[in-house]
Amino acid sequence: MIIVKDLHKKFGGNHVLRGVDYHIHQGEKIVVVGPSGSGKSTFLRCLNLLEIPTSGEIWFDGQLITDPKININKVRQHMGMVFQHFNLFNNLTIMENITLAPVKLKLMAEEEAKENALKLLNRVGLAEKADAYPGSLSGGQKQRIAIVRSLAMSPKLMLFDEPTSALDPEMVGEVLEVMKELAESGMTMVVVTHEMGFAREVGTKVLFMDEGNIIEENTPQEFFANPQSPRLKEFLSKVL
Amino acid sequence: MDWLNSVLEKANAAFVEKDRWRLYLKGLGITMEVAVFAALIGIVLGTIVAFMKLSTKRNGKPTIFARIANIYIDIIRGTPSVLQLLIMWVIVMKDCKNGVLVACITFGINSGAYVSEIMRAGILAVDKGQTEAGRSLGLSHFQTMRYIVIPQAFKNALPPLGNEFIVLIKETAIVGYVGLSDLTRVANQMTSKLYEAFMPLIGSAIVYFTIIKILTVLLAKLERRLRKSDNR
Repeated sequence: MIIVKDLHKKFGGNHVLRGVDYHIHQGEKIVVVGPSGSGKSTFLRCLNLLEIPTSGEIWFDGQLITDPKININKVRQHMGMVFQHFNLFNNLTIMENITLAPVKLKLMAEEEAKENALKLLNRVGLAEKADAYPGSLSGGQKQRIAIVRSLAMSPKLMLFDEPTSALDPEMVGEVLEVMKELAESGMTMVVVTHEMGFAREVGTKVLFMDEGNIIEENTPQEFFANPQSPRLKEFLSKVL
Repeated sequence: MDWLNSVLEKANAAFVEKDRWRLYLKGLGITMEVAVFAALIGIVLGTIVAFMKLSTKRNGKPTIFARIANIYIDIIRGTPSVLQLLIMWVIVMKDCKNGVLVACITFGINSGAYVSEIMRAGILAVDKGQTEAGRSLGLSHFQTMRYIVIPQAFKNALPPLGNEFIVLIKETAIVGYVGLSDLTRVANQMTSKLYEAFMPLIGSAIVYFTIIKILTVLLAKLERRLRKSDNR
């Protein structure tokens, strides 16, 4: 579904990604872990071109999306993204947050979009918040809404950039629960996280990134039970 | 009681006799006409210039539009508005006999420079994550600005925008230079006509003050309404 070839990203003199190669298949739940500054968030943000790669190729559904001629807005409609800081639109109600993109991009009529939004809100138990503004919600609620907002576009793939890192501890569970359900429904997911429990339970593959590259890749069982590289062993000894 | 009589007499001469209040009212009309149209031009122009100034190339360097915006802002802020008005009236639009039109355009262009910096600050104060979220959903840059960033930027910019409009109302007092009889000029003319300065000058000062006080109250109301999405 996504093929990444020799991906490089530099910020000024800072070489953040150093030739990442990876292949994501339909239905996989890829969990990316690694120390901060390892390039995992940049890698994720390159996948939907929020960061423009310095060099390298990204193919999505057989389309070379790093080609400057491609209509990136069209591509992004098929890739949901959930951010660490939720980024709900502060000037819009929850309902408007969810329906804005499908309606303005003319994928749905307003009525249809609202109906769909309510269905999704019910799935995460927040239908009664439809007319509230983001400012009045808790972090966990905001993140569940952010997931719903992405799902309203019926994406083929969901990207999660440390979705629970900004949450109070007692709210992490409710967000992971929604993500788990989403995984069970067959969604292809790429998740950057520090939640090792989630990686173990939901991931089909776990990647370890360090210094701008994927150092190790394995099934969750093997990844945690039999780490190969010394860097990963050291990392796991610190976080587990 | 003599002083009271003399005050009333002076007030009578300054405002009531020969329906002189009509002149002040007409002057106020011109003041507000110029201020309101200039403010409209200023908001539109200022918003466009703010985006021009914020535009960057892929490598992060400013575009040609950003350079043009900078030159415009520099020139307008670097010269007195009286001179700008005279230059427009005597040189640039010398074939236009409509002083009000010239004044509206001049003050509009003038205000645009200040509004652009106000709007730029408002836009920069909107969290980058808002734009990223909009773009990640597939909305275009323009749609993201239109539906998400500009409404929030406008809210941020409302207090200084109100300030700018208030300054504008008072700054129109220089349109007498191009022969318009605005409120200030009417008061001035009346002073020479009656050999009496107190009533016309203080009277028109009170009118300015009242108009701006009403505006302040309305702006506070608008701000409260726009802030309703902030309830926490």
